[in-house]
Amino acid sequence: MMSGAFESIEVGETRSFTIDEVTRTHFVKYAGAGGDFNPIHHDQTFAEQAGLPTVFGMGMFTAGVLSRIVAHWFGPQSVRRYKIRFSSRIWPGDRLTCSGRALRVYEEVGRRHVDLELVATNQKGEELIRAEATCRPWQPE
Amino acid sequence: MAHIQPPGVPIERGKIHEFANAILDDHPLYHDVVAATDAGLPSVVAPPTFSAVAAFFAGGGAGPGSALEGLDLRFLLHGGQELIFERPLFAGDVLHAEAGEVRTYAKEGRRGGTMRFVETETVYRDAAGAVVVRVINTLIQTAGVVTE
Repeated sequence: MMSGAFESIEVGETRSFTIDEVTRTHFVKYAGAGGDFNPIHHDQTFAEQAGLPTVFGMGMFTAGVLSRIVAHWFGPQSVRRYKIRFSSRIWPGDRLTCSGRALRVYEEVGRRHVDLELVATNQKGEELIRAEATCRPWQPE
Repeated sequence: MAHIQPPGVPIERGKIHEFANAILDDHPLYHDVVAATDAGLPSVVAPPTFSAVAAFFAGGGAGPGSALEGLDLRFLLHGGQELIFERPLFAGDVLHAEAGEVRTYAKEGRRGGTMRFVETETVYRDAAGAVVVRVINTLIQTAGVVTE
């Protein structure tokens, strides 16, 4: 399927969205769905014993939310590469803003490829995650 | 409790639906099998970071025998992850994880003393043995609590 997004994409195009309030319930739902039961993400007592004010979100939770940018832009079947680097932790009550920008558009092995830069930030403008992604139309072998 | 290592991780529609909800994504190709087959796909697609589920299923959880064993969970940070897809992951696939090289190295951190990096590579293959996705994961063990 050649998505229209690949035909019309131009370097510098952007997409973004915001989650107004991230909650502990989001972390618990992600723990159940993703299997990450490190207590630092759901157990207040454990978090306090580790010297933290409260639990914090899994990096992979935020990385998953951030991947919505490419999934909705080019289709989730189009992701060739997703490289995530975690910078800061996400806390309950944070406002999460995810954004993406097309850096490069090129042809390779007869298919259009798009390289993107993705960033997740909190309400203070602090970077939580910086990521790179490459998308290209998926073709069954 | 013994950790049971499954022979393969079945990728199920219900799990994809649950995982997509947990990352707050309503994309129809994650939830609606009719939308997926109409788009020419064999079934619903797994989100790019879904392989984290397979990693925990294959022994990456916090229990004994897991990749986290021996690390202090109080002072463990996730540094990053790189996913390289040879093809999308679909419901109905059965994934087989193959642990690659584990690299450990130390760095002096600015905030938490000495940081120990644990970099693992995992290759996930489908039932036919073809590579679906390669995952390079970096965990950071800090000497103490990291304050920001």
